[in-house]
Amino acid sequence: MSDGHYHPAHEQQLFRRRILWAAAFVLLGFAILFARMAYLQVMLYDQYKGLAEGNRISIEVIPPVRGRIYDRNHIVLADNQPVYVLSITPEKAADWEKLLSQLSALFPYKFDTETRAQFAQWLKWQKKFNSYTLPFELDEIEAARFAARSHHFPGIQLTTELKRVYPYGSMTAHVVGYVGRINEKELKTLDPQRYKGTDVIGKSGIEKYYEDLLMGQPGWRQVETNARGRVIRVLEEQPPVNGQDIVLTLDIHLQKKAYALLDQRPGAMVALHPETGAVLAMASAPGYDANLFVDGISRRAYAQLLNNPHRPLINRPIGGVYPPGSTIKPFVALIALEHKIISPNHRIFDPGYFEYAGHIYRDWKRQGHGYVDVHKAISDSCDTFFYQLGLKMGIDLIHQGLQTFGFDQTTGIDLPGELKGLIPNKAWKRRVRGQPWYNGETIIASIGQGYSLATPLQLARATAILANRGTQIIPHLRKASVEPEGHIEIRNRENWERVIRAMEAVLHSPHGTAWRVRQLIAPYRMAGKTGTAQVKRLQAEEEYDESKVPMHERDHALFIGFAPIKNPQIAISVIVEHGGSGSKAAAPLAAQLAKYWLERNHVPPQQKRRKP
Amino acid sequence: MEPRGWLMRLHLDGWLLAGILLLITTSLLVVYSASGGNMAVVERHGLRIALAFGGMVVMAQIPPHQLMRWAPWLFIAGLIMLVAVLITGTIGKGARRWLDLGIIRFQPSELMKLALPMFLAWLYAWQPLPPSWPRLLAGLAAIAMTAGLIVVQPDLGTSLLIAASGLFVLFFVGLSWKWIIGALGAVIAALPVIWHFMYDYQKQRVLTFLNPESDPLGAGYHIIQSKIAIGSGGVWGKGFLGSTQAHLAFLPESTTDFIFSVFSEEFGLWGVGLLLLGYTFVIFRSLYIAWRAENNFGRLLAASLSMTLFIYAFVNIGMVSGLLPVVGLPLPLISYGGSALITLMLGFGILMSIHTHKSRLRPVTSS
Repeated sequence: MSDGHYHPAHEQQLFRRRILWAAAFVLLGFAILFARMAYLQVMLYDQYKGLAEGNRISIEVIPPVRGRIYDRNHIVLADNQPVYVLSITPEKAADWEKLLSQLSALFPYKFDTETRAQFAQWLKWQKKFNSYTLPFELDEIEAARFAARSHHFPGIQLTTELKRVYPYGSMTAHVVGYVGRINEKELKTLDPQRYKGTDVIGKSGIEKYYEDLLMGQPGWRQVETNARGRVIRVLEEQPPVNGQDIVLTLDIHLQKKAYALLDQRPGAMVALHPETGAVLAMASAPGYDANLFVDGISRRAYAQLLNNPHRPLINRPIGGVYPPGSTIKPFVALIALEHKIISPNHRIFDPGYFEYAGHIYRDWKRQGHGYVDVHKAISDSCDTFFYQLGLKMGIDLIHQGLQTFGFDQTTGIDLPGELKGLIPNKAWKRRVRGQPWYNGETIIASIGQGYSLATPLQLARATAILANRGTQIIPHLRKASVEPEGHIEIRNRENWERVIRAMEAVLHSPHGTAWRVRQLIAPYRMAGKTGTAQVKRLQAEEEYDESKVPMHERDHALFIGFAPIKNPQIAISVIVEHGGSGSKAAAPLAAQLAKYWLERNHVPPQQKRRKP
Repeated sequence: MEPRGWLMRLHLDGWLLAGILLLITTSLLVVYSASGGNMAVVERHGLRIALAFGGMVVMAQIPPHQLMRWAPWLFIAGLIMLVAVLITGTIGKGARRWLDLGIIRFQPSELMKLALPMFLAWLYAWQPLPPSWPRLLAGLAAIAMTAGLIVVQPDLGTSLLIAASGLFVLFFVGLSWKWIIGALGAVIAALPVIWHFMYDYQKQRVLTFLNPESDPLGAGYHIIQSKIAIGSGGVWGKGFLGSTQAHLAFLPESTTDFIFSVFSEEFGLWGVGLLLLGYTFVIFRSLYIAWRAENNFGRLLAASLSMTLFIYAFVNIGMVSGLLPVVGLPLPLISYGGSALITLMLGFGILMSIHTHKSRLRPVTSS
């Protein structure tokens, strides 16, 4: 390329020409860049302005579908039903107070001051970008009315939501429980990530106990939204893991029957499958409609429930404690026999009272039962026999023996809020009352009075253990195999059969306390025990006359029983608060419930047992 | 137009200095905004600017004949360090680019940004221009070696830019147009082969560049957000500190590679125009220095350094506005960042040295 001769001027000219070219490149290059920028900043300005100002890429939570709750027949007890709701995102709504006013003008009948107060409350402690679902539903016409005006309501969206519905309302309210809005206290203990997008939580019953299973795991989707918060497109999605369905051991038909039998009288019925401990029915009367709580119950309705003297909110089978009364007698007798405190042939004479240390302890039968052995003491429910027996056993043996049947301890059922009841002993009294134990207290404890308290579930469980001939069980509601707890040590099997025969005689021998009930269970045979628990202690000279005593001081009617006697299929406890005598008010309910269950399950009636 | 007075004694060029100071002031303001008003970042940036200024002044004192003497040795040292960095280099962001010299960590590729043009200017200073074929091939070999060692680090962006700065020397020595056009044609034909040898992340960048909306959450996210920032700035911009895209953290690396997006969001098209004018001024002044240089070494080095500045600005702005693929390159004199700024200012020091160290006797210029 070089011609070999050095021409500085030519060289410089060549170079300077290239410099000019380079300058031209620079101008051209920057012109291209400027044109590009002009294209972006002028031609596409509107589009990018919109993107910068409004359109956001945001993460939306997809709440999991809460698990359904079924009974043992796969009939749904807690369902999810889609409803139209309005949700507010305060971040997107410039002036939410004005929006709420407009909204209440649109739906005046749905919008009370309480609704607004609730929202204001929520606004205070909730982060702004979370949305709030207004606590009312819209029907299709209302939803359409809102949809037509939705452009007036930026930040308020019409969405469908799954709402918890309890088709059996009050009948399953105590067992299944209910969900309600997450309150401030609960919020502190919850995993905020998991409950984002979910505003209800199990508040009671199965809904609370199995919250973790029912809840599931939320999913999310990444979306592009415009300034109004409307989703333009979904960019990425992680589906939620829905909550697990729960199948209960409960039989809704039996549950219905139990409620029908209680007929709104305050009381409780528990039916267990003795072999497994499966809860077949668990009724607490009076009931209440669990659906009221789902959207947040109104203050007035809640006050009504709280102030109702029959206290419908209490789940009596596990949260009500009652003196077990005479229903304790078969267990006390069995403990005494097993510990050889008395022989099977032990007999006393009952004049109608028992005198100890200058006190008179009266039998319920004024004229006395005459000569009484264990069998008759149970079937006729002789108090005097047990007064004397209790003294022989001592309170600590009674306490220890009853504990093996599950008294004085929670059963471990899969429900929240279970009470443990009470069977006193010397140590307890010293610890709690700071007093020594008196033998007089042993006397009344041996007929289930005094300090003794038990829940209906504890009574049903003890009955099931008796029906099992010693195999202990944990009552449970979730249909899953629960291993037997263990077995009570049996020293003489005949003692168990002896007590069970006596309980059979309660219904099936003419002098039995529930003899009148035998027709209700026929053709089946049932072993049972009546109980009439004193609520008010009578003075020595007082006569108990049901008609003269005010309702809240009347005796509780109790009954425990199981059927059939061989291979028992159902163990029942019944309590009718202030219902009077157990034989009249409680035993018929148990007999009818048992018969209903046995017939429904086509259990063949057994041959009449040989008289002992 | 010749420097005089105290500037002359310091061997500084007033016009170039003014242009640089203008851009540096802009840089401090935009870094302040892009960092979300973080004074600590601005202070660190200021410290680096001061350091770079010091380097520039020192460089300006070294006469060009001294630089010419060092040029071959500097280039050889640079090559050795590029090899060393491949063997022992510290890994940063998945690539071996840094050489740990005990007290400072050092990027040999930064040295090469200066050493390669210096070497090539030295190479072609001994013979009248245009050069002979063997020297042209030697120059090409030096460019290929340097670019090759940097591309395997891997750092495609820097490699291409250093190669460009070298190729500009070949352009300025008077390589004939038919060869230039022929070579460009050959490169375009070779693109599929280059594609084959590219790393996945590099391929991804190219693919994303071609269609950023295809991957809005991954590699394309930066470009989409950058374009939103630029476009939403409009003609007048959102005002200083008004960049919502940067402040809402939609823009990545808003103080470094994507600082131009913040600038154009806040100052709009008129600001962009002024900034481009500022660059044009600095580049043209540098080209003028080349124009007025008294020998081939000075001419070629000054011209190459001028065009390097242009290439850097062009590629960065082209990249953030979606014209060019994302190669990870700062905006010269504006972006926050140490080593690139220092290299750049050393280059300006060389330019000033070329302009202010001239023999008292003016060379005879022909018409």
